[in-house]
Amino acid sequence: MSKKIITTMNKLAAGVAVGVTAMAAGYTGSVVAADAEWAGFVENATYVRDGVGLSKFRNTAQAEFSKSIKTEGWSNVSINGTLRATYDGVYDLNDGEFGKDATEDYLGANWHGEDTSTVILAPGTPFPCDNDPTKCNSLKDYMDQDENEARFPEFNDQLDFIRELYISADKQLDNGDILNLSFGKQQVVWGKTDLFRVLDVINPVDYSRHNIYDELEDIRIPQWMLTAEWRMGPNEIFDDSNLSFIWNIDQFRPSNLGTCGQPYRILDAGCFFSSELAVGPFAGTPIIHDVVDYDWSLENTQIGAKWEGVYGDATFSVNALHYRQQLPSIHARSAGAPLPDGIFDIHFPRVNLLGGSIDYYSMDMDAVWRLETSYTQGEEQPRDTNGFKETDMFRYVIGFDKNITIPELGTRSAFLVSTQLFGEHILDHEVDMPNEADNWIATLLFKGFYVNNRLSPQIIIAHDFGAEATAIAPSVEYLIDDHWKVNVGFNIKEGGDKKFPWSVSGPSDQTEPLARFLNGPIGVANQEDEFQMSVRYSF
Amino acid sequence: MLNKTFISLALTAAVSTTAIAATDQDVENSFFPYKSGVPSYNGLSAGMTINQSNVEQFKEILDPAMYEFLKAGDTEIKVGETTSFDLHSSYVDATKANLANVKLGDNPGEISGSVAGRPFPEEPSMDDPRAGEKLAWNYKYGYNWGDSAAIMPFYWKFRNMETGKLERTLKFNFHFLNFTHRTQQDPTPAITPNPSNLFRGIYVQVLEPFDVKNTQLLIQRFEDDLKRDNAYLYLGFQRRVRRLSTGQVTDSFLGSDVMIEDFEGYNGRISDMKWTFKGTRNMLVPMYNHNEMVLDSESHQDDEGYQVVAFGGKGNCFPNVTYQLRKVYEVESASVDSNHPISKRQHFIDAQTFTIPRNITYDRKGDMWKSWSIGQAHPDHHLPQNKGTGVAIDDAFTMIDMQAQHCTTGQFKGIVDPELTPANKMTVQNLRASGK
Repeated sequence: MSKKIITTMNKLAAGVAVGVTAMAAGYTGSVVAADAEWAGFVENATYVRDGVGLSKFRNTAQAEFSKSIKTEGWSNVSINGTLRATYDGVYDLNDGEFGKDATEDYLGANWHGEDTSTVILAPGTPFPCDNDPTKCNSLKDYMDQDENEARFPEFNDQLDFIRELYISADKQLDNGDILNLSFGKQQVVWGKTDLFRVLDVINPVDYSRHNIYDELEDIRIPQWMLTAEWRMGPNEIFDDSNLSFIWNIDQFRPSNLGTCGQPYRILDAGCFFSSELAVGPFAGTPIIHDVVDYDWSLENTQIGAKWEGVYGDATFSVNALHYRQQLPSIHARSAGAPLPDGIFDIHFPRVNLLGGSIDYYSMDMDAVWRLETSYTQGEEQPRDTNGFKETDMFRYVIGFDKNITIPELGTRSAFLVSTQLFGEHILDHEVDMPNEADNWIATLLFKGFYVNNRLSPQIIIAHDFGAEATAIAPSVEYLIDDHWKVNVGFNIKEGGDKKFPWSVSGPSDQTEPLARFLNGPIGVANQEDEFQMSVRYSF
Repeated sequence: MLNKTFISLALTAAVSTTAIAATDQDVENSFFPYKSGVPSYNGLSAGMTINQSNVEQFKEILDPAMYEFLKAGDTEIKVGETTSFDLHSSYVDATKANLANVKLGDNPGEISGSVAGRPFPEEPSMDDPRAGEKLAWNYKYGYNWGDSAAIMPFYWKFRNMETGKLERTLKFNFHFLNFTHRTQQDPTPAITPNPSNLFRGIYVQVLEPFDVKNTQLLIQRFEDDLKRDNAYLYLGFQRRVRRLSTGQVTDSFLGSDVMIEDFEGYNGRISDMKWTFKGTRNMLVPMYNHNEMVLDSESHQDDEGYQVVAFGGKGNCFPNVTYQLRKVYEVESASVDSNHPISKRQHFIDAQTFTIPRNITYDRKGDMWKSWSIGQAHPDHHLPQNKGTGVAIDDAFTMIDMQAQHCTTGQFKGIVDPELTPANKMTVQNLRASGK
């Protein structure tokens, strides 16, 4: 059970609360605060990787609070926060494999056998800010964390130990509608997909925590945002209607792909970016010269709007977002010989997104269909020539959820079957892009419930058709009581064998450096087969 | 032969769909069955205890599952005075106002003319092939929680009946709201706009423990009984609303012994079941004055000094409440869908309130599977704000899985207050807003 604790709010929270409330309400009178409700957990996650040993020894403490405040004129006023502290002991317990001293024989040694291309590129420098000041400076404000910051990932300049801290308040309008304002560091969730995202792109994601496999709730990087929701409720046509606006006023942060030396670095991008030319007259030239800074300015903020509602058996949303690409785009600095201080700059271009979603319950099938789509302008895709090309992108996911009773499997509880098919279409595709013009990823979740739902086995399967790569993750969760929970499982991957020609080293297909994009997050992790166990105590 | 069958069917339809007009006297008899006296049974008196030693004497006024529990010594029951649970006068008046208008349609799940009040107040007849269905309609459009109410908080405890071990405690808030068939709270008889013609909403929010915190459930039931409910689930750890298929409605709710379809005795469509009236009888059912019961001072404390009902008996699976001898209608509902996890339920519907204080659920093989009790507290002996509401307050439930020897118990703080359940509580957007 969560405990009701009388607490003194910290000055920051109180400042946000009183300031925003007074600002929004134009009200300067007294504010009455109730006791805060606290809940949270401590957890150890220990993962062991085949042939590598310990890959995670993550210890997390998380506390969530909500504090109601009574004011005149506004209702449901509350300050909400989530604090998290993590220590990952893998850098102390398996420092031969991970950390600042974890060297590789060749670039990509963690996911493919050496090939001819690897003689051109040197292995990535682990934690450049511990080992190479020049590369550290080149990757400044992007992949510049040192080993200690990976060990304690929330304790950084962005104060990530404050995962969320926002104030929310409702204003009852004269016509019965409700206006809600929320301001602070928060997650805003669009979309309803698992593992991969189509519309849920407002917050960047920390893939260094556990690739794509942790709940998005735990790996979204909260942002300072102001949201306004106009909750119109039902009208003569719609059963529910809501219009919301988002203004992300935070300084732009890209998704965290993992720094070279960390156990989870999606697409092995971290080591590629901290690599350098290994042979020839340009030996020693770093891959990355600079990461373009997007200093805070009004025009660098991000805005979005969503209209959502319910019409009969369908729930729907229409979404628009003006944001910045959260994955890096590498721009060659020179069309000819590489410049000695670095070959590429990393950009995060502006993107306009238009999208929508619809959920439909089919009475005949007794199942729910989900559709999400997005069309973006301004994204940049990697290619051999110049490193990138701007192209419009079309993404979609079709989801199908159904509950099935299978008495033969020894339980009266229904099994949840949830499937998703993600599609991606590159509208201006080029042959030198290390991605298919059309690609699909299919996912399956099959989850059962035993012993009053306290024992829950499940299997997740994800298959990337273009990469011909598959991840299989069976696991069993056991709730011992209201406080203790144990989860044991495996995460097995196959694939990652795709090659792609790199014109610099010749016309033949090879792995480095571009095939990492073709093999995707599942294929590039093909040697990350793991046994995983976590133990959580909630309060 | 064909003609004969056709004529027979036509006559049956005519008999069952043509309203044999109920009278004001029928209404009086239906709502005030104890006006001229309460039922009695040889040897039964208020204050006595029925247990293993004397259960055989009272078998006739016990339902089969309760008889088995008493016979096995799993529990004992104290007998209380039979009291009248008068429903709110607005509901009685609405019943009178619509007397001549209500008719069953040709098929189960079809009804016309029911605006508010009890649709079929006349005494059910064993000769009426659709009597069971009419009683089901009386339950569906019953006063139940009135026009709106909330259970804040609501404790569910998962218990091993054999060992008594308390496995889980879930703390909820539940809200109920009628969009139509309203009689007492403004607006009446319906909330507008209501484009999909919803009849009722049920909103559930989990407060504790942490692993299911902020899980929310929204059920929207349509006025059209042939249309399946819209059900939405918000999972706190995913922060998103998902539509539910009915597979989850007939599944264990959050690991409890209760399925969503079990809520309040039956929480589904009339048309999902074949309803059969089995007879009228006097039976002991858990209906009482909350303030006079043994209360649990540990599970819940608040500034009002309210305490929830205590539990005892085998595995602490039985509410410590008194049972009173009351007129009940026994109705059987057999699932139409052969894939439904149960074969049938045996409902013991309180004739005055049309609540369902006792249910027995049978598995697909026809064996007794679960026993449902929901204690009904008189509103005038409960929270001060419930006095005079005319709502029989759901106050304590137990769902016992007799095969698994496991139970889920529920302890309520039921409050009849429209302020707690505004219409915007029953929107999908509320799930997102409340779960954030």
